[in-house]
Amino acid sequence: MAGGVNNAPRSIVTTETRPVRIVLTGIALAFIGLFLVVPLVSVFIEAFRQGWHLYLAALVEPDALSAIKLTLITAAIAVPLNLVFGLSAAWAIAKFEFRGKSMLITLIDLPFAVSPVVAGLIYVLLFGAQGWWGPWLADHDIKIIFAVPGIVLATVFVTFPFVARELIPLMEAQGSDEEQAAMVLGATGWQMFWRVTLPNIKWGLLYGVILANARAMGEFGAVSVVSGHVRGETNTIPLHVEILYNEYNFVAAFACASLLALLALVTLALKSWVEWRTERLAAEDRRHATEE
Amino acid sequence: MAFKQHSVLPGFKLSLGYTLLYLSLIVLLPLAALIIKTSNLDWSAFWTIVTEPRVVASYKVTFGTSLLAALINLVFGLLIAWVLVRYPFPGKRLVDALVDLPFALPTAVAGIALATIYAPNGWIGQWFEPLGLKIAFTPLGIVLALTFITLPFVVRTVQPVLQDLEKELEEAAASLGATRGQVFYKIILPTILPALLTGFAMAFARAIGEYGSVIFIAGNMPYVSEITPLMIISKLEQYDYLGATAIACVMLAVSFALLLVINGLQWWTAKRLGRRK
Amino acid sequence: MSIAINGISKHFGNFVALDNLQLDIASGELLALLGPSGCGKTTLLRIIAGLETPDQGQILFHGEDATDTHVRERQVGFVFQHYALFRHMTVFENVAFGLRVRPKKTRPSETEIKRKVHELLSLVQLDWLADRYPAQLSGGQRQRIALARALAVEPKVLLLDEPFGALDTKVRKELRRWLRRLHDEMHITSVFVTHDQEEALEVADRVVVMNKGKIEQIGTPEQVYDAPATPFVYQFLGDVNLFHSRVHDGWAEVGAARFAAEAGDSDKAVVYVRPHEIELSRVATEKAIAGVISHSRLLGATVRLEVDVKDAEVVEVELTRERYQEGGWQVGEAVWLNPREARVYPAA
Repeated sequence: MAGGVNNAPRSIVTTETRPVRIVLTGIALAFIGLFLVVPLVSVFIEAFRQGWHLYLAALVEPDALSAIKLTLITAAIAVPLNLVFGLSAAWAIAKFEFRGKSMLITLIDLPFAVSPVVAGLIYVLLFGAQGWWGPWLADHDIKIIFAVPGIVLATVFVTFPFVARELIPLMEAQGSDEEQAAMVLGATGWQMFWRVTLPNIKWGLLYGVILANARAMGEFGAVSVVSGHVRGETNTIPLHVEILYNEYNFVAAFACASLLALLALVTLALKSWVEWRTERLAAEDRRHATEE
Repeated sequence: MAFKQHSVLPGFKLSLGYTLLYLSLIVLLPLAALIIKTSNLDWSAFWTIVTEPRVVASYKVTFGTSLLAALINLVFGLLIAWVLVRYPFPGKRLVDALVDLPFALPTAVAGIALATIYAPNGWIGQWFEPLGLKIAFTPLGIVLALTFITLPFVVRTVQPVLQDLEKELEEAAASLGATRGQVFYKIILPTILPALLTGFAMAFARAIGEYGSVIFIAGNMPYVSEITPLMIISKLEQYDYLGATAIACVMLAVSFALLLVINGLQWWTAKRLGRRK
Repeated sequence: MSIAINGISKHFGNFVALDNLQLDIASGELLALLGPSGCGKTTLLRIIAGLETPDQGQILFHGEDATDTHVRERQVGFVFQHYALFRHMTVFENVAFGLRVRPKKTRPSETEIKRKVHELLSLVQLDWLADRYPAQLSGGQRQRIALARALAVEPKVLLLDEPFGALDTKVRKELRRWLRRLHDEMHITSVFVTHDQEEALEVADRVVVMNKGKIEQIGTPEQVYDAPATPFVYQFLGDVNLFHSRVHDGWAEVGAARFAAEAGDSDKAVVYVRPHEIELSRVATEKAIAGVISHSRLLGATVRLEVDVKDAEVVEVELTRERYQEGGWQVGEAVWLNPREARVYPAA
């Protein structure tokens, strides 16, 4: 998680003079404004350029609706799968000692390092018409590439590390004292997990899920490789945006893009809220600990 | 892997078993497929594909623009982290949250937004047009998109380290006669350097693989503004699976190397900050 | 170099850290700022160093106003509570830092720096650690390196914030003696902050007792211990028994005992008596307080007895082990308490 925001003034010795501070703050804010705010705002302005009616029309059009549906389905499958994986990986890594642990952590990180295009390609190589299992799948009339399963698989790949990445350090920091106490008090494995572990990590879990969801709904490169771009069938929202944009239908493209931008804003808001909560809980914890 | 179980907690075999199975199915097996597929090629055929002039040009574009974008963010990421940690100003929480926008905003959206703004008739592009400076549909546009995409990395790696930097270290240096500049170069910079480089390497790694945001703004002209991921896509579209796979293998090797570098840098960060496991 | 503190005040928000402080520090003396946490002692030290600016008042170094002088130019040596050693530098580089950051014109040559650093490292008896990193040192070693680093810039004043606070008891005692010896050799004006009265009394030439942003008393260790100016100083500088009483004819009465008091008739007063300044007796005397021994505890060379006294809380009495054994005191025995020394303060 990000470092906290501190607004307390610093002593004269450890800060710069006021003009220097103002100039540096100004440059930083200008950079953020130019690179982040302007593009974000432009999405909405371009979307509403021709008024509400065209905006709404672009969203309720059948191809757009089916893209929205596919995006939701994809996220609804990919995120829970990686959630279960994240919990399982974090449990094994944070609570037990075994050889090869750091290697395992590196491998879990691997999907972050791989280009999305390569991520799509590897599934084409496995399941595509020319791939390893392509002929067998064709014989049994199962379609994975250029169909929904391929899109889901590619999305699972690119969102693979999010939950695990968030939970491993959190659970390592918490240690296993509480779990051991629960065991001593006679709890079964599941009782311990549901009553002790899960409540302790729920905020970190939520954080990972929020980030995984944003990526799942917004993934472009990997999905683009496996989708086949069949309108109304294998297009997610980002792919639909691309098609509209390449057809010079800018208003519709930005209208659909604005949905994703909205998703991004909600993601950021939720993320900040979770961070704020965790920070506050930690601060309270510290206060109680020192009050004694 | 050796299974040394000291803990009384249950579920070790189940959780580790599931983790390894899922990791193998989703990540390792498909990546192995890529490598095995490449091994069908003999070395000279592989070499011919990956050193084809147009492909080499795409490496230059990809690495050059990624390096530039990562350097821009090295400087501005440090500045943003510095300002967020050290200077009070109104709306700080909002700005802090906004830094993560590139992680949350789908790359395609960023791509079309930047392409529109920096097009010759766009909001910002129109001001550069008379100066003879074209941004969209040139390598400059690629740098721009990659700068956007990788903006949070340096900020987010440096911010916590700056936050935890004890002010006593700066006070000690000042009481020993160091100027503010000397305090920065001799005390602060060495302390945050590993984190800074980690963020830089992460940004660079992400930029190399980036596809979604770049293709809209790049113009995709062969030899000029064609990135390597796009080469893979266009080979695929021509049903040249071997060609696509060979180039993907090169990218995978680079990604893996960068991942190792990043791990090494993170280890260095932990060591320099005196955090020992 | 002498330091004069003239009417210094400092607020943090609504919290008054220092309230119109007045203090003169003589050249070459070793002064302790003693008080409980939050009393403002560290803030005062940081203001002297220039790490903090006062809201009001003046600091004079050798008669010259130094209030607005930057810490960089004050030529003070500051030893931080947790040492603030630079983690990425070796011990040698840490000590050399103050010399290396000097402007080119006054920067000593590399050989000169080397000579000086090794001289300082020998002074703190750690020359053999020059190439280590701070993380590889023990607490006591870090402390001495921090001191060597501060001395490298030839400071006119040495300021130490809780210099022994983070060390374990045994190392702390050694370092205390060592610091005292070092000061006697170098005669550099030194101020250190502590919350440990034993430390202040043992090491310092003079002790400044502080509470709630104010100075309660300034004096030699003997003066503050034997003639505490306020109840706070009395209580802070050792264990104490207190008796609430009323004044009659210039005497504060506790049971049958009476103590000279300056307060007026029927004013309330508090009588302070230290546990080791009470004699025990089995014979009732005119001025004794009656009680019953309820507990005895052996604390190494001394024995601490708790005596239940009518109309008072439990009174603690401290005896040497020999006297305890000579007396053959038993729990449950009725005794009389004779305070040898007592101080009477008007009740607040």
